Amino acid sequence: MNLTELLENSARRWPQKTAFVEEASEISYAALVEKSVVFTQQLQSLQLPSGSRVGLSFPNSVSYVALTFALWNVNAVVVPIPTECPPEELSEIAATMELAAILSHKPLPGSEPLLPDLFLARLKPATTPDNHGLNIAFIRFTSGTTNARKGVVLCHETVRDRVLAANQAFQITENDTVVWCLPMAHHFLITIVLYLSAGATVVLARHVTAKPFLEAVNRWHGTVLYAAPFHFSLLARDHSAAQMDSVRLAVSTTCALPQDVSAEFFKRFGKPLVPALGIIELGLVAFNAEDPRGRWNSVGKPLADFRVEILSPDENGIGEVAVAGPGICDAYAAPWQARKQILRDGWFITGDLGRLDADGFLFLISRKTAVINLAGRKVFPEEIEAVLNRHPSIRESRVFGRLHPHLGEVVEAEIVLSAENASTENLSHFCREHLAAFKIPTRFHVVPALPRTPATGKIRRVAAVA
Amino acid sequence: MIPSSEIETELLAFLRRDIFAPETQLDGETDLVAAGFDSMSLVKTLLHVETNYGKWIPESEITNEALASIRALAATVARVLNEK
Repeated sequence: MNLTELLENSARRWPQKTAFVEEASEISYAALVEKSVVFTQQLQSLQLPSGSRVGLSFPNSVSYVALTFALWNVNAVVVPIPTECPPEELSEIAATMELAAILSHKPLPGSEPLLPDLFLARLKPATTPDNHGLNIAFIRFTSGTTNARKGVVLCHETVRDRVLAANQAFQITENDTVVWCLPMAHHFLITIVLYLSAGATVVLARHVTAKPFLEAVNRWHGTVLYAAPFHFSLLARDHSAAQMDSVRLAVSTTCALPQDVSAEFFKRFGKPLVPALGIIELGLVAFNAEDPRGRWNSVGKPLADFRVEILSPDENGIGEVAVAGPGICDAYAAPWQARKQILRDGWFITGDLGRLDADGFLFLISRKTAVINLAGRKVFPEEIEAVLNRHPSIRESRVFGRLHPHLGEVVEAEIVLSAENASTENLSHFCREHLAAFKIPTRFHVVPALPRTPATGKIRRVAAVA
Repeated sequence: MIPSSEIETELLAFLRRDIFAPETQLDGETDLVAAGFDSMSLVKTLLHVETNYGKWIPESEITNEALASIRALAATVARVLNEK
């Protein structure tokens, strides 16, 4: 199957219904399909071989969505690239993911204009990607739950299974209007694809402050919100009298929901924030619509088709969370690892430490892995260390997360200087040249040596510190 | 007391360097949201202020008025920093 069928079905059932609201103009399902056909024709003229991997570097927009479906129309694999990626990271992604081309909203080195605000850079991957005979729709590399950037491979069928499973929880229908503010480059499948397959309307809210967001909710009668705790925190602290009576479901995702945000949001709007657990390798795993106020810190019970187990629990019942269910990713791309190799006896080991209570609610306690979660953006310590270690004043480094009351975690680094009086003055500047701004450590701690594991001598990794 | 004008100069340098594309024209009057300031930009800016000045600007201060211009944002930051 091809995921384009989901959009086409909706366009057949609700051609005149609004699919998107962008900058106050409404785009119907029929118009969205038409837009995607125009892009498809452009892409066909490029004669990309079937299964080519194409990077998509676009801000949230209807074009982003239409381009994704157009790429699927020509059997290309969509590889979303956040627009904040600096050039060096972009080249590295292009090489690792063996991209045949990058579509972008701004000119890139070597790109040519295809349409106004659409540029294409043809690339010649050093090796031809081997898709191992899979019907791949999507490779996401930005937010894996394990340490390295592996590229999570998802087939069309897998995404469809995820969407079906997730919507058993969300129950999105053609009567819903979702007010959307998360970056599509990070969130797309069990969200945008799901909404479109259900015939819902998606309002693209660009503004960051509470007032215009609330205006959008009320003007378009939003019924569903899906955002990060940071967004809900801005809304909860809004001083106006505006309410959001039309909202039936407000889902908090991407990182742990702080108690004060949960409580203040309810106090301000009389609506509970519903925590949910989405994992890129798995889709939506758990959802706490049942007791969001009493158990505000639980991501809820596993969805109907999912099973959750706590491995080797300690005396408090805390252990590593393992999950089995539909829509598990098909492979890792770099290096290639098939699903069978990723799973342990059919279970995906998440790297999260958690417990289940007597009623089956899942509580995440901390992570076993060192991935840093900054307001929902995953940061890999190894990637930042690789940059730091290239600085002439640094012999070696260790990057870790520090818990932050508003953002979940922030990035900090310990560095061992190459010489006693080595200068660290231009360190931030150096990082800026090589890393997206949110990955730059906010603090550098000069230390005499890094902690190592006695057995292997590897740098000791820690989950976020207080 | 850190004067608002000093914060404005520092914020402008930060926004030019870390938030906006190099070709973006920025000055004290620039409307941040119109220039493309999104929620990740906001997170980065709040974190920058906290790292540089040692104080988190509470979410309740992040209003349309505070983001109406870089000068207004600097004034908000100055007010919060200078609060006892």
